[in-house]
Amino acid sequence: MNLTTLRKISFGLCLTLLLFLASCSAKAPSRFEQAQQDSTQNKVSAVAPKAEQGGQFNPFFPPSQFGYERVFVQEKQGFAEAKLKRDGKDVAMLSISDTISLPSAAQKYQGSATFIAGYPTLEIGSTQTGILVAERYQIKAISRDPSFGQAERQAWIQRFDLEGLAQLK
Amino acid sequence: MSKPIYELVDELPTGGITVMALRSLDFVMPGEWKNLTGFTHTIRVITGESDESLIQKIGERAVYLYNDKSQGYQRALWLYQTVDSAAGALGTAAMANRIGQDVSFLGFLSHLTPKPEKAQTIDLCVKLVVELVAFCQINGIPGDSIGDFLGALADYSGESLLRMAALVCFDGVLPLGADFILKGLSTLDKLTPAELEGNQTFKGVKSLIPGGNTKGQLAFIQQSFDSTQKWMSELVNAHQLTSEKVSSQLQNFVEISKDKLDYLGAFLDIAVKYYTHTGTQTLARRLIERATAEI
Repeated sequence: MNLTTLRKISFGLCLTLLLFLASCSAKAPSRFEQAQQDSTQNKVSAVAPKAEQGGQFNPFFPPSQFGYERVFVQEKQGFAEAKLKRDGKDVAMLSISDTISLPSAAQKYQGSATFIAGYPTLEIGSTQTGILVAERYQIKAISRDPSFGQAERQAWIQRFDLEGLAQLK
Repeated sequence: MSKPIYELVDELPTGGITVMALRSLDFVMPGEWKNLTGFTHTIRVITGESDESLIQKIGERAVYLYNDKSQGYQRALWLYQTVDSAAGALGTAAMANRIGQDVSFLGFLSHLTPKPEKAQTIDLCVKLVVELVAFCQINGIPGDSIGDFLGALADYSGESLLRMAALVCFDGVLPLGADFILKGLSTLDKLTPAELEGNQTFKGVKSLIPGGNTKGQLAFIQQSFDSTQKWMSELVNAHQLTSEKVSSQLQNFVEISKDKLDYLGAFLDIAVKYYTHTGTQTLARRLIERATAEI
């Protein structure tokens, strides 16, 4: 092997190493980058101007009962959420959201074959039960503790004032 | 354009001085705080879900919510970041003041910088109010009654509770002593709107403090301090907190030489960004909870 060949090989090796290092340091694009770009376009908003104020939803939540304490935690336009606690421990989240801001949230109920009080319901992931009231308001019960399972989620959804919520215009 | 929320959460440190200082408070609230970092990891831990497509949807909705300026999330983060950087400025001033006391030829510095105790007290009160304002920016005013609202405040846990414990320990007990609440009340009682105007931390966040003008804002700060003093004194009493205790706990985690102890409070102001760190975690948690419920 002469010197020129050796130089060529070492040059090639250096180049490969450089490319390898460069590829290591370049940050992989985030899986949320598309959402970031789409949501920072002009006139894109996450909440529709016509969405109900969260405070409008409060009266339809079930009160504290059966040893569970209800604590309201969020109240934003188009959204209200309360926490259920038992013996001081968080066991579930209860929420009402206005799907006018997020039509896909309502569309997912179209294929639903199960109903609570005549409204379509869905099991979502492994911790959530949802129901769509008056084709617009989504109620969810979300487990935060193994003691609060699907049966508890469905029971608590039925404790909301579903008819009252359906009348909300 | 501000940084995407997923980058802010991804970039939260897992070590370093802020995290170590926060860990030193474990004795106040054992096991309460997990340093949750990384956006998708945070989604997994909070929701308990492992389905990647569900995690994707939750993350995307959280990104949308954060970027909608009308929703207040960016303002809340700005508040947390601003009190941290203003406190940094205060720390620098307090250090200059300290040097002013030590070295006679630099004596003029003590005329240029605020008296640390008064500045520290104002700083503590402003930070407390910022917590209240940021809470409302993130969560709205939950429920229909004052009782509901107080219930939401009383439900502080995890990183939010730690932030309040850090406020009491690092901005109250450590620089001002175990009787910092009395000192705070008496300082606030005598404080003039003009003096408040001169405070760096207040200047940074003035535009978002309720009250209309500085006089009204001072009244709001006094009310906030007054209404939280019971909670703060319970924390102090429950753990028999003293500056020596807080600083010795801190020294288990952060290396500080004995002769530099005088500078500890000022050093913390400059080096520890606990409002930004835990504030970002609180914000991420609430965004993710809302996104999970809305999708």
